[in-house]
Amino acid sequence: MSQTIAEKILAARAGLSHVTPGQIVDAYPDLVMSHTATWRSVSVMKKIGAKRLYDPNRLAIVLDHISPAKTEKYAADQQTSRNFAREYGIEKFYDVDAGIAHLVLMEHGHVKPGDLIVGTDSHCTIYGALGALGSGIGYTEVASVWVTGKLWMKVPTTIKLTLSGRFAAGVSAKDLMLHLIGTLGADGCGYKSVEFYGSALPAMSISERMTMANLAMEMGAKCVFVPPDDATREWLLPRLRDPASYRPVLADADASYEQSIDVDLSTLAPMVACPHQVENTKPVTEVLGTRIDQAFLGSCANGKYEDLAVAAGILKGRKIDPRVRLIVTPGSKQIMLEAMRTGVLATLMESGALVTNPGCGACAGDGGMMADGEVSLSTANRNFVGRMGSNKSSIYLASPATLAASALQGAIADPRDLL
Amino acid sequence: MNMVEKILARRSGQKSVAPGDVVVADIDLMVMHDLSANFVMKVFENEMKGASIRDPSKLVFAFDHNFAPATREAAEALAAVRKFAAKHEVQHLFDSGCGSIHHVIMEAGLVAPGMIVIGCDSHTPIYGALGAFATGVGNNSMAALGFAHGKCWFKVPETIKIHFHGTPARAVQPRDVSQFVVGKLGEDGAIYKALEYAGPYIESLDVNDRALFPLQAIDVGGKCGFVNPDEKTLRHAQQLLGTRRAAARFELFQNDADCRYAEVIDIDVSRIEPQVACPPTVGNVKPIDAAVGTPINVAEAGGSTGGRLSDIRTLARCLANRRIHPGVRLQVVPASRDIYLAALKEGLFETLHTAGANIFPPSAGSNQAFNMGALAEDEVMISTQARNFPGRNGHPKARHFLASALTVAASALTGKITDPRTLEDL
Repeated sequence: MSQTIAEKILAARAGLSHVTPGQIVDAYPDLVMSHTATWRSVSVMKKIGAKRLYDPNRLAIVLDHISPAKTEKYAADQQTSRNFAREYGIEKFYDVDAGIAHLVLMEHGHVKPGDLIVGTDSHCTIYGALGALGSGIGYTEVASVWVTGKLWMKVPTTIKLTLSGRFAAGVSAKDLMLHLIGTLGADGCGYKSVEFYGSALPAMSISERMTMANLAMEMGAKCVFVPPDDATREWLLPRLRDPASYRPVLADADASYEQSIDVDLSTLAPMVACPHQVENTKPVTEVLGTRIDQAFLGSCANGKYEDLAVAAGILKGRKIDPRVRLIVTPGSKQIMLEAMRTGVLATLMESGALVTNPGCGACAGDGGMMADGEVSLSTANRNFVGRMGSNKSSIYLASPATLAASALQGAIADPRDLL
Repeated sequence: MNMVEKILARRSGQKSVAPGDVVVADIDLMVMHDLSANFVMKVFENEMKGASIRDPSKLVFAFDHNFAPATREAAEALAAVRKFAAKHEVQHLFDSGCGSIHHVIMEAGLVAPGMIVIGCDSHTPIYGALGAFATGVGNNSMAALGFAHGKCWFKVPETIKIHFHGTPARAVQPRDVSQFVVGKLGEDGAIYKALEYAGPYIESLDVNDRALFPLQAIDVGGKCGFVNPDEKTLRHAQQLLGTRRAAARFELFQNDADCRYAEVIDIDVSRIEPQVACPPTVGNVKPIDAAVGTPINVAEAGGSTGGRLSDIRTLARCLANRRIHPGVRLQVVPASRDIYLAALKEGLFETLHTAGANIFPPSAGSNQAFNMGALAEDEVMISTQARNFPGRNGHPKARHFLASALTVAASALTGKITDPRTLEDL
């Protein structure tokens, strides 16, 4: 019986030969990710009186959201997580200096094709960039998976997204995703698995794929897959402790899809998500000149090295508008190190940016708070009311290129004008 | 007269002054960080309706505690100061991420020898290293006197001279010596005194290192601290001013040969060991032996006391090709954007980052934990910060030790407070 990637992974992790959409299975995740919320799962575990973990090797903990602590409450919570990791011998523990959990786990080879990964973060879908099934769950469920090793899941139906053509200059994976989210809506893929295909894919970098898999969450996807190919293998093999564990899971040729959508990348323009919903997207040309007070370059959607490099390419030799505060938060320690080595970090600083330590940063409300009436342009994945400070502030989302062009202008600008 | 007396005389339009005289002097520069700017602004707007700022060009706001506001309230406070600055045409506003206030102001060439500088920060006396009379004032005084009149009254302080001689032992840094002075004099050892730092040891230091001494004048209750300006002061000042304010002219006031002191204290630097200020106060200074072996969770080098380029070089030298102890979070906070860029381009951050350090934006660092550095109840921190009072960095029971950048580096490597002299190659 033909199956999609999600069906194959869920069947394998539930010990079944095959599954069908709508079926409920008990699946055993390969990895359970928890971030700054880890202490909450620890307290749930205490509350239910559990003492033993199903398998400490399946836990990964990364303190990324508030890093480092700025109040004694956060400090105490982080200490709880640290102590838990030590007590249970969690080897995949990364402290406040490491960066954003998703990026850290992928960089360190903890994610591979065919894996089932759940975690305390809705953007776990990002693991699909490497062909793994990633999905967000609550911290209570995380505690339950820690203890029992399993989780019930409903097998999703799958949507096929076929990409052809090439991005025009100044257009990127972020614009593609904002286009899709705007077209399909925030619930356009509600509880669906999304598989990307098409002639455009082989040329798309792992970084772009991460942006795609990450943002698909904002159209409701349960999980996302970019089927592993040569680029996946090349990126991942040097990072895996056991290269033999690299075993791509691909869909059967005649697997059944609920819906097929084709996108010609060459037809896309830079897009912006306007306040206060991600699905409220418009071509950048419709919001040109909107004044911004702050620009944030970072997050698991666009805080990767390529994103920093794209922005630096535009900012090089130029100064940002003095009315704008440009905050750059590298997604991880490795990303920051690479940006140091290649001069990208220096270019950003010289343009007037504030470069912070790696982590989730302003996306998760860690620094970069905004006052009443202020406007932020951000490369993150959410623009809900109050997410970055005052309920009376507003957030626009865009690509790193649009962000860089806008920081120079002090207002939302079209990056194509600078290329 | 000495330098301080001469400056107070000149700026109050008198031929000479003596300790105990009360003078009304013109202020050359008024400095406020993000927290105090907001307080002073509120006093000015709410309590002094109708008043105007006498000379906005003398005001400087430098946002150093929040490098990026962590709360909505902080965001509102910063926004209010920005708005106030725009309304009153205060041009010297250095926004979040500029660095540590006093470093930023000196680098910008805003301080010159002979000036009177007041600031709503108790470490304002730091400018005494540049031949200025500088002292901290309260928020109300700043608004009522500085903002409104551009003047302030001062009682001319008596002066204590501390004479340093001898050569420091290996691994003893200027911070150790400046902390030693605080321990020796005590927190009330020089109340309302001017402290002059002199002698061959002080003369041997560059101006950035000399600055650590007047910076800590407040820690013994001093009104101000200074180094009698010399050739080095002059060159340093010209370098800072020359590039940024080509037309700057300043007057160098130097001690008269026969100037008088309330007290002269002699310190043999060669006998000083690495020093730590132990919890709960800056005055609880002890030779490092008293704290050696204390396990630490956080180590930080940053701000105007540990985030200078020389400090970052020291750290990089110690940590090159090594890993810090896995139980330690090491925070490095450059004192300014210029220092950040210089350290970045020298490859120092690459070295530190690889060793396990976390590099933060230029700022006052974890000082009062606005963006970082809050501690849990039983955690311990060693840092180059200027203050270690209970609760200042998170939980009131957390313990905070103050030391030199070198001691911080040595401790980050071992995971416990470590005498840098015991590490062979530091």
